[in-house]
Formats: sequence, structure tokens, C-alpha cells
Amino acid sequence: MKKLLILFSLLFILGCAKDEDFIMVDPNQEVPETLVIKDLVGIKLENTIVSDRVSMNVKLPEAGTYRIKIRHGLNNELISQERLEVKEGDNILKVYVASLEKSAYMIQLTDDYHNVLGNESFVVE
Amino acid sequence: MKKFLSLLVGVLFTLTSFGQDPSEIQYGTVNTVTKVGDTLSVEFKYAKKDEGAATLLQFDFEYNNKLMSFLDISWKTPSGASKARNNWSGYKFNPKANTSESDMDVQYIWWRDEAGNNSYSTSADWSVERITAQTSAAYTDGDQIIVYRFIIKDKFGTNYDSWDNILKVNWANYKKADGTQIQVGRPTSDIDLNGLEGGNAGNVTLNLSSKLLDNNVSDGTDYSYVIKNGAGETKASGDFDASGQAVVSGLENNIQYNISVSISDLPEYLGEVVTVADLALVFAEAIGAGSGPSGGSTTFDYYIQDIIADVVGTDNKVDFQDSYEILAYLQGVTSGNTNYITKAGTVHEYSGIKETYGAYVNNAVTFANTFTPIDSDSNSKIVNVAHGLRGDVNFSHSYEPSVSSGAKTSSAQNVSSQYRVSMAPGTKFNNAETANIDLVSEIKDGQVIFSINSQIAEMVGSQFNIVYDPSILTLDDVIFDTGNTMTNFANIVEEGKVRVGSFDQNFDATVKQGTPYKLIFTPNEAIQNTSGLISFRVKEGVKADGTQIKFIIQ
Repeated sequence: MKKLLILFSLLFILGCAKDEDFIMVDPNQEVPETLVIKDLVGIKLENTIVSDRVSMNVKLPEAGTYRIKIRHGLNNELISQERLEVKEGDNILKVYVASLEKSAYMIQLTDDYHNVLGNESFVVE
Repeated sequence: MKKFLSLLVGVLFTLTSFGQDPSEIQYGTVNTVTKVGDTLSVEFKYAKKDEGAATLLQFDFEYNNKLMSFLDISWKTPSGASKARNNWSGYKFNPKANTSESDMDVQYIWWRDEAGNNSYSTSADWSVERITAQTSAAYTDGDQIIVYRFIIKDKFGTNYDSWDNILKVNWANYKKADGTQIQVGRPTSDIDLNGLEGGNAGNVTLNLSSKLLDNNVSDGTDYSYVIKNGAGETKASGDFDASGQAVVSGLENNIQYNISVSISDLPEYLGEVVTVADLALVFAEAIGAGSGPSGGSTTFDYYIQDIIADVVGTDNKVDFQDSYEILAYLQGVTSGNTNYITKAGTVHEYSGIKETYGAYVNNAVTFANTFTPIDSDSNSKIVNVAHGLRGDVNFSHSYEPSVSSGAKTSSAQNVSSQYRVSMAPGTKFNNAETANIDLVSEIKDGQVIFSINSQIAEMVGSQFNIVYDPSILTLDDVIFDTGNTMTNFANIVEEGKVRVGSFDQNFDATVKQGTPYKLIFTPNEAIQNTSGLISFRVKEGVKADGTQIKFIIQ
């Protein structure tokens, strides 16, 4: 009975804990073969021609704050930019393209000071 | 003595022979033709000159059947004369070598006795006509023989660039009643027709000018053209190609046409045409002009701005009603006025011939739109057209007039826009300033925060058109930190599009440096990052003098 009470108490405590909303990154996520980056640092998309959303791998030698930028594929104009905290090694993330115009783009990985660490092109269809 | 007499007789005979004027086959145009499609009459006449009177007149001529088509003939011979007309199409006469082509009887003999099969060659462009007219009584000098009528054809699509040498007589066979051959000559020049109008104008090239093309906002395929004649009938219509060019066929020379250009499919960028930079110019004008732009204190650089900025009413006077209407539009407030602001789904546009677009003539802004192709003037077949949008006061998506009369004089300018006064028409709005700014999204505490970070001073206004994915993000809030006196706006234009900005209509306060704008979104699903979820379109500021600041994001 004591064990049962402890179990219920634990469940109760867990139930009252604040939700981390929807943001949950699995630290041990596996890297699909299509997203494997051989180098120590880089950015790679699962597909080059994309619609709606596509997976990407951002691989870094050390954890920290980085930026992912989307530039227009012709004039290099920056049209979208996010700043995020990433862990060392592979980070499987997503690029959401549904609200981007159908066109050609370049996705760019930089450190927080805008030093470019990797580029890859993609096309929104 | 006998030798001397023989020599004298010989000399006299020679002199007499050389002194004889041969008869002539005279021909020429009876009427004046001025354009393609006109009827040309050509008469053929007998000139006796010093030769004996002829009773047989026979001649052979050729005409260019690509430039003229046979209509009919009218015999002018005396009653009772025998007459015949023969004709062959697709042949051309080969004159006798090393002789005068005007020596008609020599050419006749060449045809009759010497040339054999070489007298005529096949030639699809030419037709041969042969006229024979014989009377018992001799013809008298100046008698008309026959009148031909031809229809003048268009030279478009032929190998000819003029109507020169369209008809010439090849030979003539005049004989007296006793059968004696008469020497015959002809005019040395052939029939030439000059300055003809009309006909197919061939390809007319349209070149479109707009900063929308110059700045690669879009390409020419968004534009279409309509060409009408004076009766208002549409003679050509179509779309421009990506480069802003169109090649039009089916027009006629010497016809005046008018052309209009329009944006054909209401593209998305129409919602980005009128911005805070335009608003600043209109407010400045409303403040400075006092009683209207006809007053001496206008701040505008071009007369056309009086029209483009007059977004409420049609009196071409810019006042506070116009400026507040644009402000209301940017804020997403419905004023109740009927306005002429170009915006998403609505276009109010102007077009005209580029060289005179926006010219100020007789106290009015003009958009001349007529052109007339002229065959002899290749430049008349290149038509440069310009296009502009109402509300686009800084010409960001329109053609900036280059005609000198369209620019206001420096004396009419307000000091605040002096820097543009010295610039040439067409270039006054080419030099927007640039400044760095940081626009970035990130996830914090379960929310997506989109921050606009600026260290730019002197901005009396700024605007950001932001696009987000509404299926993944919900916009919860916009936090302003622009300063206490700025008028801020955050307007959801449509689902997934928000227009954020500020403006100080007194031109005193400036947008506070730091993070003047912050947009707070809640994710509708589990996300780990925000790449691509939020993108930015219009991102610009404006200074008190109307100078546009284009933001550069690293």
C-alpha cells in the first residue's frame, strides 16, 4: 500500500508539472542516412526540392547559439532568420517552407556573429 | 572634187542622222498615290518626234507584281484600231548587253532576231505585258495608247525596301504604214513611287519601363498591353515577356494608335507598393503645400506626384485627407472614403509613352499614349512605354518621369528635399540610403519571438511586412518600444501576413533604437526550431526629408 501511495504521489507530482509546451528535443535522436554529415560542421537538407517542410541536420563541433538564415537564391537577400541553441554534434531540425514563395533559396548556417559555417541550396515547389 | 562631194554628202548625211530625234514610247503616272492600297494609273503615249508617222505601235513592258497588282486597262486608240494585250506572269526581260536599255527598237530587234531563248528569264516577282495597236491612219504625236491601272501593294514581306523601278518598258516596235522600222526611244528613268504610306508596319517593338522591373521585384510577364486605333477598335493585345518587351504585328504604317499598359493579374507585391516612405512624402506635401500643390511651398519633385498622391478625390490636390488615408491603410483602418491606393487585390495605374510620361503641359500632367509607325522611320516602330501605380509616390514600383517638364522647379521645392532638386529627372529617387538591421526569430519559453533590432537613428517612420505560416504559428501580440510619440501600427493584412511599423506625422520624433518591435507567436504544433516559419518582405525606413532607408539584414 505504501508503494502504491508513493507511485500515485509521483504520478500526481508529474501531472502538476508545467508542460514544456511543444518544444522537446530528443538528445539521442538518430541521424537518418540522408542527413549524415561527414565533416565536423555543416548543414544538410533531406531533399533539395521541397514543399511544406523538410528535415535538416545542423552539425556543430560545440554547443552554443547559432543562426540559420534563408536567402533568396538569386540576389542573396536575407528573407528569414532564426537564432537557436544547439548541442554539439548532429541536430535534426526542420525547415518550414509553406509560407515561402515558390522559388530557389539558399539555407545558411552561421555562428551568432554571422560567420558562415555552411550553405546549401534548395527549391520550394 | 568627186571625193570632196562624196565626203560632204557623207558628213551631211551623218549630221542629219545624228540630228534626228527618234520617236518615243512615253509612259508615266497619271495620278498621285500616297498609300498602300491606292490605285495607280499609268499611261502610255506615242511621241512622233522626227521620225515618220507610225501606224503600228507595239511595245513590251514589265512591272513588279510583288509591289503592284494589275487592276484593268483602258484603251485610248482611235476607233477602228486593231488592238491586243498579252501578258505573262513570272518573267523578266533580259536586255541586250552593251547597248542602251532605252534604245527601244534595238532591244526589239534583239528580242526578235538575236536573243532566242535568252530574251526572258523566269522571275516570280515580275510580269510582262505586251500591247499591240494598229491603225490604218497614222498615229499623231502625243496620242494616248492605253492606260493601265494597278493597285499598290504592301512591300512588307517582300524583298523590296522601296517602290523604286516598279515598271519599265523593255522594247518597242513602231512601224510606218509601209513597214519601215522606226527608231524609238523611251524615258531613261523608270517609274518610282516615293513616300508611300500605309501597309503592314511589320514588327513593332514595345519596351516597358518601371522600377518594378529595374529592381527585380517582378518581371514583365505581369504586364499586358492593348493597342487601339483612333476608332477605339483593339488592333493588338498581349503580354510582355520577362524582360518587359513585346513584339507586336498586325499594325499598319501611318495609322495613329494609342497604347495602354496594365498589370494583368493582381500580383502579391501590390500590397507592398504603398509604404511608410510614400506616407512621409504625402504628409510632407500636405504640411508644406498648405492650400495645395499649386502653391509655392510644394515638397514634391514631380508634377505627377500631385496625381499619384491624391488618393482621395480626383482634384490632383494633396492634402491631409490623402495622407491620413494612406496612414489608415497602413494601419489597417477602414476610413469609409473611396480611395485610389494601389494595394493587394486592387490596382490603380497610369501608362504612357516613356519619353513624355508625366509631362506637365498647359498646367496639366499628361500621359501621352499615341504612336504612329512610319515605314521609312525604323525608330517609329520602337515604342517605349512607362507604367506607374497610384499611391507609389516614391516610384518604388513605378516609372520615375524623365521628361524635363515633369520635374518641378527648384524654387517650388521645400528645403527638406533640396538634395533631390539638383538631380536629373528620372534619377531623383534612385538613391535610397541603406542601413543594417537585425530581424530574427527564436523560441523562448515555448513561444516564438520575432525581434526587430535596430540601431538606426533619424527614422521618422519604418515598416515591416512580415509573412508567417498561420498553420503552425498564431500571432498573439505585437510589442512596440518605438518611443512615446510615434504612431504605431500592426495590421494583419490577411491570414499569415502582418504589417508592422511606426510613423511620426510631425516629423519630430524618431523610431527608438534597440528592439522597437517584437512579435509574439504561439506554435500550433510541436516545433524544435523556426527556420522558414517567419520571413520578411517590405523592410524599410524613412527620414524626415523623405529619403527611403532600405534595411540590410546580415
